[in-house]
Amino acid sequence: MARIRAILVALINAVRRDLKTVGSFSGNNLFVVGIAFLFLGDPGIFVRLFAFIGLVLFIPLSADPLRVLPRDRLAVWPLSTAERRALRILSPWLNPVTWLIVAMAVWKRVSVGLSAVAAAVFAFGFVLPSLPPARKGVWRRLPEFPGPLNHLIRKNLRETLSTLDFWCGAAVSDLSLGFRAAGRLPAEALLPMTMLVMFAFSTYAQTLFGLDGDGGMTRYRLLPVPGWQIVVAKDVPFILVSVVMTLPLAPSAGVAAALSALATGHHASVIHHSNQVRWRFSSGVSFGMSIFQVTVMSLAAAAVHAFPLLV
Amino acid sequence: MLSGLLAPTSGKATVCGFDIATQPLEVKRRIGVLPESLGLFDDLTIGEHLLLTAQIYGLTKQQSHLRIEQLLRVLSLAGGRDTFAAHGSHGMRKKTAFAMALLPNPEVLFLDEPFEAIDPATSQIMRELLVSAAARGITVFLTSHILPAVERIAHQFVMIREGKIVWNSSAAELPGSLEELYLELAEPPGSEQLEWLASGQS
Repeated sequence: MARIRAILVALINAVRRDLKTVGSFSGNNLFVVGIAFLFLGDPGIFVRLFAFIGLVLFIPLSADPLRVLPRDRLAVWPLSTAERRALRILSPWLNPVTWLIVAMAVWKRVSVGLSAVAAAVFAFGFVLPSLPPARKGVWRRLPEFPGPLNHLIRKNLRETLSTLDFWCGAAVSDLSLGFRAAGRLPAEALLPMTMLVMFAFSTYAQTLFGLDGDGGMTRYRLLPVPGWQIVVAKDVPFILVSVVMTLPLAPSAGVAAALSALATGHHASVIHHSNQVRWRFSSGVSFGMSIFQVTVMSLAAAAVHAFPLLV
Repeated sequence: MLSGLLAPTSGKATVCGFDIATQPLEVKRRIGVLPESLGLFDDLTIGEHLLLTAQIYGLTKQQSHLRIEQLLRVLSLAGGRDTFAAHGSHGMRKKTAFAMALLPNPEVLFLDEPFEAIDPATSQIMRELLVSAAARGITVFLTSHILPAVERIAHQFVMIREGKIVWNSSAAELPGSLEELYLELAEPPGSEQLEWLASGQS
């Protein structure tokens, strides 16, 4: 049991470190907007946004804690079959989401259906990171772009799609599309929903180089390409994704918000480089910067929406 | 600094006749670099890294295809073409970065530890490629701790200890083996023994 205990202690440390990265949402513009509503005397919106962030975080948080141990390392350790089974059974309990699922199943106020859905989502999130890389081939099938920056743009698009900012924005966009298709989304709601999508996605514009890592930053310094082109290769996928997400809502306001987010985020992206974590929310450089970005985005989008001739 | 990874603080240096401080793009267009961190993007496959390099350096489609296929074949990377850099072995990543350095046919090569974590066969191929490149007039700067490999190909040796040059000579001027000289000048070996090894206790 001493060996199992030692491995579990190591896993606990790894899970604890992983959970710290979850806190990145507190630097996200969506959370900042929620805080702003809290101060404006509407705690209901804050609670709903906070719950929504929690829902988006649910899948990546469900990941198997045992995945942090390299398979090769685990294979060469002198563990008996019984010890390996014990490790397999005990490790999921290091994940707080496992306890949440159990609590939902036990708590009588939660319906069986909801518990089952939560358990299914948990199972999906638990298994997903363990799938072999070849199964994640969807990332390979991205469109080609004209010009020499083609592969930089494709890479940046893949990075964009591996942030929760995108998935959060996409979830709002899809929900809005569903309501609109059902005729239950009034015209007055188009701009607010567009802004919600863009608030969720915009923090990434402050940390455009956050997922490139040290290797990527080294390569940028070596490429015989002017700096502005490297930034353009970051902007293109951001604008493209913004357009797609806001297309069912108010696309011109969405583009205005996207351009404003980039204009206000470039300085922070280039000067205050901060490493980000995949499958987590991007964290902005400061609360003040987020407030500034959100304000500029809101003003630009509202102006374009109110005066379409401006575009 | 010569490769453009570090900004110069003072003084002047030129590569291929171009000032590294005032004409960095001209310098970068003429050099190939294998950096210590390899400089790969996790979200690009090995094949895409080479295509990116070809497009950025302005190679024609025909040139790109020819050179990329040849490099993938010579460096035994063809099977890993569609592997994302993040999922490749260290050797595979090293070879990709090496191929990226060679692909634009540079005038000068800067290679940081090119033979580390490479299988013997590929190491020999890389050595042959470098010797052939040098014979065709490409200047090759390389840093390495794999001294027998360096001894076989280099024409000039420089040893640095704590930021200071402690040896600078041509291959013909070496007094003995490079390894002996290195241990004497740059890094004397430690003498502490691990008594607990083979003591019968785990």
